[in-house]
Amino acid sequence: MSFRQKLLFLFVATVLVCVAVMSLSVYSTMRHSFELANQDRANSVAAQFRSEFQQRGDAVERKVEAVASSDTVQRIAVDVNRGSPDSSSYVTEAHPLAAQHQLDFLELVDANGVILSSSQWPAKFGYSEPSASSATGPSGPFLKREELPSGPALGLFAIRAVHVGEQPLFVMGGERLDQGFLSTLDIPTGTRVLLYQNLDAKWNPQNLLDLNGPAAGADRVEPLIEKVRSTGREAQAPIYWTPDFADAEFFHAIPLSGPNHQLMGVLLVGSSRRPLIELERRIVSTAMLVGGLGIVMAVLASLWFAARVTRPVVSLAEAARRVAAGDLSARVEVESHDELGELAASFNRMTEDLLQQKDRAVQAERVAAWRELARRLAHELKNPLFPLQVTVENLLRAKKKSPEMFEEVFHEGTTTLLAEINNLKNIIARFSEFSKMPQPQQRPTEMNDVVQSVLMVFQAQLHENARIEVHTDLAANLPEISADPDLVHRALSNLILNAIDAMPNGGELTVRTAAVRAGESGDRVAISVSDTGSGLTPEECARLFTPYYTTKQHGTGLGLAIVQSVVSDHGGKISVESTKEKGTTFRIELPV
Amino acid sequence: MRRIALLSVALISLVAVANAATRPRYGGTLRVAIQSAPTTFELNSATTPTDYWDMTRMLALVGDTLVNVDALDRPLPALALAWRSDSSARRWEFTLRPGINFHDGSAASAPAIAQILGALHPEWTVRSAGDSLIIETDAPHPSLLAELALPRNLILTRNSSGIPSGTGPFRIVEFEPGKLLKLVASDGYWGGRPFIDTLEIDFGESLRAQALSLELSRADLVEATPQSPSSSSRIRTSLPVELMALVFAPNSKADIHLREALALSIDRKPIQSVLFKGAAEPTDSILPNWMSGYSAAFSTRPNLVRAKTLLADSRPSSLLLSYDPRDPRAQLIAERMALNARDVGITVQVSLSGSADIQLLRVALPSPDAVLSLREAARQLVLPQPSLQGNSVEDLYQAERGLLDGKNVIPLFHLPLAGAVGPRVRGWAPDQLGGWNLPDSWLEDSRLAESRQEDSR
Repeated sequence: MSFRQKLLFLFVATVLVCVAVMSLSVYSTMRHSFELANQDRANSVAAQFRSEFQQRGDAVERKVEAVASSDTVQRIAVDVNRGSPDSSSYVTEAHPLAAQHQLDFLELVDANGVILSSSQWPAKFGYSEPSASSATGPSGPFLKREELPSGPALGLFAIRAVHVGEQPLFVMGGERLDQGFLSTLDIPTGTRVLLYQNLDAKWNPQNLLDLNGPAAGADRVEPLIEKVRSTGREAQAPIYWTPDFADAEFFHAIPLSGPNHQLMGVLLVGSSRRPLIELERRIVSTAMLVGGLGIVMAVLASLWFAARVTRPVVSLAEAARRVAAGDLSARVEVESHDELGELAASFNRMTEDLLQQKDRAVQAERVAAWRELARRLAHELKNPLFPLQVTVENLLRAKKKSPEMFEEVFHEGTTTLLAEINNLKNIIARFSEFSKMPQPQQRPTEMNDVVQSVLMVFQAQLHENARIEVHTDLAANLPEISADPDLVHRALSNLILNAIDAMPNGGELTVRTAAVRAGESGDRVAISVSDTGSGLTPEECARLFTPYYTTKQHGTGLGLAIVQSVVSDHGGKISVESTKEKGTTFRIELPV
Repeated sequence: MRRIALLSVALISLVAVANAATRPRYGGTLRVAIQSAPTTFELNSATTPTDYWDMTRMLALVGDTLVNVDALDRPLPALALAWRSDSSARRWEFTLRPGINFHDGSAASAPAIAQILGALHPEWTVRSAGDSLIIETDAPHPSLLAELALPRNLILTRNSSGIPSGTGPFRIVEFEPGKLLKLVASDGYWGGRPFIDTLEIDFGESLRAQALSLELSRADLVEATPQSPSSSSRIRTSLPVELMALVFAPNSKADIHLREALALSIDRKPIQSVLFKGAAEPTDSILPNWMSGYSAAFSTRPNLVRAKTLLADSRPSSLLLSYDPRDPRAQLIAERMALNARDVGITVQVSLSGSADIQLLRVALPSPDAVLSLREAARQLVLPQPSLQGNSVEDLYQAERGLLDGKNVIPLFHLPLAGAVGPRVRGWAPDQLGGWNLPDSWLEDSRLAESRQEDSR
């Protein structure tokens, strides 16, 4: 990962973390606020329903009062006080009275608590109604479980006593608390009311009613109702109907108690969470959109900033790579005056110093090379010049002092002069040859053939020196390479000649070829020439390919330089491994 | 009890005599309203006691039986003036009233009557012998006279449309099935021409509508809810000639203990006093006391403790109780039964839908003859026919006990029939078995009737 990528990652990560922390904080605060708002709304609605419930109770009271004041009830009250009333006359009286006053329940009960007439269960005449007889005066509305032919029901009741004589007549009327009752309540939009009729000892989902009858999904409300049933106090909780939170409702459960504080029912006022959830979702989606855009912009800004920050570093790295590659002319543009600018300036100064040092080194090396060349030339030329000088002096001395022997001396002297002159020519020819290295004429070449032709050339010389044993290890199926076989032949000849020179007392000469496959620089063919001579020191190995450097007394120091030049012209490489007193191996690798 | 019944008969007769003190007048149209709406004149099509009584009353206006019987099961002459039987009661000989014709003009001769009766009773041998009619049965038939007095043995001929023609006081002149029956007085009626010229009977009127029609003088004679004898002078109540009972369906899931517990849970007294206004007789027997004389031997008192004990061994279940929706009292009575049943822990749902376990039924007891009524009741209650070992009251009691032992039927009440007449109807003396007995009634002049009505207020 590059410095720029790291910097970009750091910037982006920082932005994401900041956005996430901020979002979570805002979201948490928002949710808390929404929960409070929702709860306040549910409490408000619950309070409204308590008030509504009280009003309905008051309405029932007024209706019962109206029934008690009716002529029919007054007449019955008079009859009751006359003694031995005709009960058969009253059996059907309650029903029309209840219908007239829109009451679901109405019973006329005598002073002994015996039902004279019942609208909800006309057949109940003659049965006792303890609730009525226990009423001593006007009492507020109360909840009561009422037995009906179809089963128990829950009602909101009121009792009035009609006194027209000694025997009071009780009028007990009420409204049924069921889905019909719920439908008459003024329910705000987004609010739902459920009623649990606590008619059974155990939880019964059929007793949970909504506007249409038994409510669906009653089991989800069971824990809330059970809590109210067990504590007798109000409770509230969100009810999740589906996995979608927007379908959830916040329910406020209000216990509905009877006269003796027994729990008769539970009124559940539910506020839909959908508006708040949808608002929350809109806010979240907007925040996500804005946050996303912010993140994108932050990433873009980070990209720009990272690029701006890392550009000098990248330039520095690029310049450093160029310097490492040998290009000491690499420079970094100084764009700022901060630490990076100072670093760039220092780099530039460093490369300038390096360049100057290199120039000085090259100059010194050139001088050294010239000195070496001069030394070699002097050395090479001095050796033949001295015999020439001695021969010419002998000729002059013989002409002057021994004319009789001049002819003989002249003959010997001219022979020597010609030989030394010829030697000088050879020296000059080798220098000339080194300066005139031809460009390789490459063509498909079988390297094993080249090796064998070279060995063939040296066969006679190797046979003369019987103490050198030749080994060849040529790889079969060696691929052809594109090479100039003459130049390669010349290079290999130099290596074999060096090997022979390295083993004046005999030894083993080994020539190997091999295919080097799947390297980073492609397939290659390797040729190694090993001897078992005296070997070289590491210092000698380091300078071995320097022109005019030689470890031999009579070498020009150009042989291995020519080999390196040939190998380099073919895109190959040459290396040397040597161990003192054990031998040296030259290894050439040429591309296929 | 029989004395009480006779006393009641005497009192009602005195009232009838008092009403008849005004001099009769001929003419006028008597308007009658009934609940049932027959489309034919077949007694077999009567599905409820109300239909049965309405049809028998209408057919009795048109036709006659050979003999009549009174509330004491005493035979009275009708088409037959005299009768005798042999000692084995297998052969009966009737001397017919001479010179009687059907409304269509044909003679109601012995051969014609023998043919009609022979068709009604293929198991008998019916033949004429001059002006006499001879009936022979395979087995002794001591109740033959009561049998012949049943409405199903009315001597009627029918035309191609099924309209009956008989020898009764009125003849049919118009019939709109399900709507109306119009009759006119038969001038040649052997008992004397009726005072009323025309009878118009409107079908399908509910009791409430009938009461309203009577109040508004749109009807002169209507059916009424039985009342205690002192409740209204214009309402006439018969002897109890119907049985109201709970009848278990053959496939009912109630076992014998549950049935008995249900029977013991029912408190008949409040129903009798409040819902029937004292007009019904609580009972646990099929036959009413005036008919059998032993009804008191069947206890009607509830026993909740015993019922709960029985239920301890019984499988709890919910029973469905249905009732006749045309009977205005039936629903309330059924709900009261359910309420009583709940007191001992039996769940009874009153409903008209679904397969009922129990039905609240009324069955007609058509004859004052106890044996005949017991047989007829057993047939209507889908009980096996009673097996009588003899003709004694003990035999009858044992036979009835045998019918009730299976607890398939819980008798509840014996109910009378009742009718009410408007102010212009005079001389109305319905018989004690529920018959209208209209030939002796007449219509008062309307202005006089209104005057009387004002005076009575």
